[in-house]
Amino acid sequence: MTEATIQQPTTEQDRVTAAVTEALGDVLQRELTGLEPGTRLFDELGLDSTGVLDLLLALEELLDCEFDTENLEMSHFATVGSLADHLTGELRAQR
Amino acid sequence: MEENFSRRLKTAVAGDPGASLVFLGNFEVEEEWARGETGLPRLSSAGNSAVVNRMEEFALLLGGADDHVVLKTRPDEDYLDHLRRLGLALPTVHVVAGQRPDHMVTRDALADDALIAALGELADRGALLAPHGVSALEEELAARSRLPLAAPPAPLCKAVNSKVYSRRAADAAGLRQPRGWACETLDALDAAMAHAAELCEQGVTLMVKEAFGVSGKGIAVVDSRRRLDRLHTMITRAARAAGSDRAAFVIEERVAKDRDLNYQITVGRDGAVRLDFVKEALTEGGVHKGHRFPPDLTTRQLDDIRHAARLLGKQLASDGFFGVAGIDAIVDTDGGVFPVIEINARNNMSTYQVRLQERVLAPGQSALARHYPLRLRRELPFAAVRRLLDGLLLRSPGEEGLVVNNFATVNAGAGSGPYQGRLYGLLVGAPERLPALDEAVSEQLATLTEEPADAR
Repeated sequence: MTEATIQQPTTEQDRVTAAVTEALGDVLQRELTGLEPGTRLFDELGLDSTGVLDLLLALEELLDCEFDTENLEMSHFATVGSLADHLTGELRAQR
Repeated sequence: MEENFSRRLKTAVAGDPGASLVFLGNFEVEEEWARGETGLPRLSSAGNSAVVNRMEEFALLLGGADDHVVLKTRPDEDYLDHLRRLGLALPTVHVVAGQRPDHMVTRDALADDALIAALGELADRGALLAPHGVSALEEELAARSRLPLAAPPAPLCKAVNSKVYSRRAADAAGLRQPRGWACETLDALDAAMAHAAELCEQGVTLMVKEAFGVSGKGIAVVDSRRRLDRLHTMITRAARAAGSDRAAFVIEERVAKDRDLNYQITVGRDGAVRLDFVKEALTEGGVHKGHRFPPDLTTRQLDDIRHAARLLGKQLASDGFFGVAGIDAIVDTDGGVFPVIEINARNNMSTYQVRLQERVLAPGQSALARHYPLRLRRELPFAAVRRLLDGLLLRSPGEEGLVVNNFATVNAGAGSGPYQGRLYGLLVGAPERLPALDEAVSEQLATLTEEPADAR
């Protein structure tokens, strides 16, 4: 690479992942750094069952959409990556 | 000398301080009460139901030598030895034949005909069934075993446990509570949401709570009109999808909170009301982490609690309720008390600590109820914990140390592969010594996670 580039979210997946990070920081009320796709929301970040709904509502606001809340599963909220994957899929399905 | 809790409880629920009770620790009976009610969206699979179901072992600590307890498995003999050495009389243990980790104890008991027959023999000798809380399942067990319930009927327990009841009881008693509204139907929800929207527009943060949510769950924090409207839509859709117009919710202002309090009253069948204790609840992110007793409160704050306990007890009695009720309260950042945030028509974690406290707490000592999360790879026997916490476990009343008050939750998730457990205990000692004791116990237990191979 010959020139410095500013990292901008380039794909839908990146945009959703950035939103997941921001929403987690909002719900857990602390700055989160170094999150990776494999970071576990419950075990590592301390999200609890009450936080899940708050997280979802915050994500709807950040991504300006409404998600289907009928079929939420624990597995969707396992890691940063699994949540981003699930939400990206939902957004695609809504188009 | 003051009459002990056990005798008071028996007088309240059976009219006889010498009654023989069969205790049943059906924790999260709220799940049964919430069945069929419209709720907020939730995850379809609960991760730690095996641990929650093993909280039933707490019931071991409620009964004395004349009592009985139904458990999912036989307690670890070394754990029983730990309790007996403190001079604690324990009830006769009845174990279900084939416990399922995903079942609460009542379901296991209902599947065990031999146990039901054994309970029937206790019924013949005059014993009564004393569950953690009463749902239709415990009523079925009572009917099949012929043990009379030492509690009101399930529909009344459910009604009293509703957060809608708490708000209305507080209104009727003229007790201070956060600004808010209770509703039970979609039409009433629409009206409550319209009021709430006005507060929201003024920048007030709100809490939308399921009336039948388990403590700390089924609550959404709302700090924008958009979020409020979204929740309104979600609830309405969920009710319509179920073909129901029921929507039991409470919407109220989030108070600037300094501390959570929990107090327990015992209401007798004769309407007598007794304030059993006031404790300070320790919570982290809305999840219960333990209790401190006695709490650090001013005379004025304690008087507010006593006043509320008396009025709420009277209200409960007039509605036909009797037995133990736990009430959550908060102290705001100005030191004012909101004496009723919710009423729980069942035992509380603290209920299971009262006999222990009476037995081991010396004057001037405090108790800090804690639970320690564990990550284990293979089953951990109590003997290993005793070795690990050598010098930290309480050896006799009046000294300082940790009393383990539930050991079944440690190995509830044991099977193939790593699992998470919880060790519940009561730290006892001089108030200023408790934080260091807590830290020492935490440090020792942390070695289990780091060096699982040395756990034994």
